[in-house]
Amino acid sequence: MSAALANQPPLRARADGISIRDVQMVYRRGVQTTTALAGCNLEIPAGSWVSLIGASGCGKSTLLRILSDIVQPTSGQALLGGLTPTEARAERRFALVSQHAVMLPWRKVLANVELGLEVARVPKAERRRRAEEAIEMVGLRGFERAYPSELSGGMRQRAAIARALTLKPAYLLMDEPFGALDELLRDRLNFELLRILEETKATLLLVTHSISEAIILSDKVVVMSPRPGRITQEIDIDFGHNRSPAIRDDPRFGRLESELRHALGHSMGDEHH
Amino acid sequence: MKQLAALVLPPVILLGTTIALWGWMSAQGMIPNYLLPSPGKLAGALVGDRSVLLRHGLATTEEALSGYVIGSVLGLLAAVVLSFSRRLRACFFPLALATQAIPIIAVTPLIVLVMGRGMPAILTLVSITAFFPMLINMTRGLRVADRGYHELLHSLSASRLQRLAIVELPGAFPYLFAALRVAATACFINAIVGEWIGSNIGLGYLVVISGQYFKMPTLWAAIVVTAALTLILVGIVAVMERVMTPWAATEHGS
Repeated sequence: MSAALANQPPLRARADGISIRDVQMVYRRGVQTTTALAGCNLEIPAGSWVSLIGASGCGKSTLLRILSDIVQPTSGQALLGGLTPTEARAERRFALVSQHAVMLPWRKVLANVELGLEVARVPKAERRRRAEEAIEMVGLRGFERAYPSELSGGMRQRAAIARALTLKPAYLLMDEPFGALDELLRDRLNFELLRILEETKATLLLVTHSISEAIILSDKVVVMSPRPGRITQEIDIDFGHNRSPAIRDDPRFGRLESELRHALGHSMGDEHH
Repeated sequence: MKQLAALVLPPVILLGTTIALWGWMSAQGMIPNYLLPSPGKLAGALVGDRSVLLRHGLATTEEALSGYVIGSVLGLLAAVVLSFSRRLRACFFPLALATQAIPIIAVTPLIVLVMGRGMPAILTLVSITAFFPMLINMTRGLRVADRGYHELLHSLSASRLQRLAIVELPGAFPYLFAALRVAATACFINAIVGEWIGSNIGLGYLVVISGQYFKMPTLWAAIVVTAALTLILVGIVAVMERVMTPWAATEHGS
């Protein structure tokens, strides 16, 4: 940690949201250094939904990997509810859902959904009850005894979300969770996720490539740009919660879409020289 | 059922033809009877010598199976220990591979010399033949699990042992059974090799003694019994693999 940062007061003010302060990520390969993230700052209030969107290489996944304690930032601080990612992970405050619904192929759906509770040493009966509840919530009833290889991509992703929900995480970190699915299915799962978010009151940080997904699932869309990865714009989405698919027909939706496309075009401009 | 017939019928037909040809050639005097008895004489020995075959067969089975289990379990434990430390792996794994270049037949007299004739020497010999395939296979197998599985367990705050039990061991099942298959065929062979020089009982001993007394039908009957025992063990391992990896069947779309 740098001296300048050590002098700063600990960032515990916004205790229950996600706080990203001056986060920098530099990779060194031999003499070459790549700045994956240059001084990122972001505040996400508890219970709100934020999307990160941008061209590949803009560092949006890196930011998510820092928050989920897979990698450590070169400098700066990331906090979830006032805890460092390592502390938050130890206390199981967040759940991570990645692009490729990671399912252990040798476990049936129920055992895969129970995995987080099993690792947390939750008693078997309680584990079963909470897993079945989560499976119900994502609409996978009847598939508890199937192996992951017997499920479609969309069903596997639902199972991955169910697994994330069993631990009742305060923070849901999702890395392109519906990226591998077709448009129609993605749309349906988007609104199902909204319903689940309203039910669980979790804070959502979502990495996505899709402009419409970002609008549907966010209170705020954060636009990032590559080389070096940084935040270029924050666009508020003022649809409030309790959204229905009808928001797609709202004239504001189209305006936001073009605004975002414009912002992304700007951030991708330096890709072509 | 039809699939089973398609699988079983061709080799059965070939075997039947071979036995018929062999019987005919024996009857014509084309094969000297003192080297290879006729199928009828061999069958006669299997029935007539059944108490001898049973006694020696049981002794061999006991040695082969005990050594098989001991060697496999120790090999698995060693692989788990190596999986915890890259440094240990770097020291031991190349040497474990190198041992595969040593012919076990060459080591057998040494083991008998050190441990004396009898069960302990043969158990040691068989255990060694099961140990190394398991160690080598599982050292690889415990490392093949997808990185995504490890990241998932990491995000769930799993302990090192939980990672082993939940991801690494189940992920290594194909390697585990590959090692068990290799060792299943090797353990009877090596038990018999051990018995040649290191025992007063067992099918290997019976083969040597029958040879010395020119009891060819008994010798051949002992060989047939050995082959049958090996096939039974291989079959048991195959069934175990099917039962213990039910997800594999769903993956290949059956």
